[in-house]
Amino acid sequence: MIKWSKVWSDFFIFLALTSNVGFIFSGDPYQLIIAVGVNLIATVLKFGAKKILSAELLATALVADLHLIPATILYFTETHVHLAVGLAIGAAVANAISIIMLIIEIIFEYSKEEDY
Amino acid sequence: MEKNHRRRKGKPYGNIKPKNYRAIYEEKFYDVLLQLRYPLMTIIFFTTLGILMLMIINQKSDGKSVLNYFFHTIITFSTVGYTEGYDTEHLEINRLFTSIFIIVTLPLVYMYGLVSIVNVFMNGNIEEIYRYWRMYKRMEKLNGHYIICHFNEITKELMKQLKKRKVKFVLIEPNPDKEKEIRDFGVEFYVIDEPYKRDVLLGVGLENARGLVTAFEENTQDIAVIVTARLIRPDKENFYIVATATNEESAEKMKLLGANEVIIPSFTVGRRIASFIFHKPTPILDRFLERIAYGEKTDIDLIEVAIDKDSELANKKLKEIKLPQQTGTTVVAIVKNDGRMKISPSGDTTVSEGDHLILLGHPKALKRAEEFIKKHQIEKTEV
Repeated sequence: MIKWSKVWSDFFIFLALTSNVGFIFSGDPYQLIIAVGVNLIATVLKFGAKKILSAELLATALVADLHLIPATILYFTETHVHLAVGLAIGAAVANAISIIMLIIEIIFEYSKEEDY
Repeated sequence: MEKNHRRRKGKPYGNIKPKNYRAIYEEKFYDVLLQLRYPLMTIIFFTTLGILMLMIINQKSDGKSVLNYFFHTIITFSTVGYTEGYDTEHLEINRLFTSIFIIVTLPLVYMYGLVSIVNVFMNGNIEEIYRYWRMYKRMEKLNGHYIICHFNEITKELMKQLKKRKVKFVLIEPNPDKEKEIRDFGVEFYVIDEPYKRDVLLGVGLENARGLVTAFEENTQDIAVIVTARLIRPDKENFYIVATATNEESAEKMKLLGANEVIIPSFTVGRRIASFIFHKPTPILDRFLERIAYGEKTDIDLIEVAIDKDSELANKKLKEIKLPQQTGTTVVAIVKNDGRMKISPSGDTTVSEGDHLILLGHPKALKRAEEFIKKHQIEKTEV
């Protein structure tokens, strides 16, 4: 049985990374708007998850947001486009870490199920 | 697998984790936050969609335009209805998109999203959750406290007395209907839960508690609590359990199962009434007895000391022991080995091994007497 709430949150967590990487390579404003939106949604979906590592997951999501929002401002004011891309790379790293933690959490959850 | 087995065997009362009352209310707070997920997601999703669509329609992606599109999306949601603050060559298609966008997003974002968020904060009982959380956070730090089971007239009186002497206690009451009454009574720490569960007793700090009082109207409930508590704290010396019973049979059973003291309220009251009939109460004597029994800041007390087999004091006359001169206490009675009681013994009375002396005096003097008797015991065994 697939848990659809889990599909939703995992979908947005993965999409946050992919859209972010997309922006780094294309440098396209449309992609940046998508990346910011998706990252914000991924953050919101991590609220209140009562699992192990939930605090760390939320922290990485907030890090990604705090990279991308300044990046958006810098990019559209056309002052420091390079810095904007750099910040997006930082956000992508945070996204990648959050995916690693997601995988660790999945492994833990399976081993817990075996315990019972 | 082996590791699991060992973990389960670890404690004599089973592998039970204490119920964490603070964490329960922390989780309730997270549940409130959890309700914000979908409304917030809706708002973010449609804001992003609005900006993107306007960028695509107008073929503009410079900073000024994007800011304008963001502004336009927000004023659409908020139904402020500000005129489009941007230059455009595609006025018609912009208006078409915006019309459709408003039709779809107004109910979703404004009605569902924003209203749900306000609703969560209005009905989320955040204040209530915080109150419980703070109480249980402080409860975790308790040490040397008493645990009281059931809220009734007996325990109410007990709690009044404990409060007067600033003794901390945690009340466990299984009936949730009594919560308001408990709160009005001013109980500092309480838990609405079943007191005969191991995790509940561990959760209220049974392992650090000094004692437990259980005063249910039903003997079976008392017995369940006594057995569970004794299972976790098997040491009768260091963990004191007092219970009430409705009849003698149950009282005996409770004592066998681990209660230190069992009181049968009807017996106690009956005897007290009888004592009023047989001994006409005089105000002074009455106050004297009250002071011994329930004294506030007791300056007089009664204790019982045993004369062991190895004691130097055995087979000596009371006047040779000189207890009043040595310690300042009075021997009120000697309880012989067979249970006979000799009231107000004379100086010529011989104390034999196995006797129990009942001493009256100031608490400090009684402590001295206890040490005195212990000293004579130890010296003999050391030689």
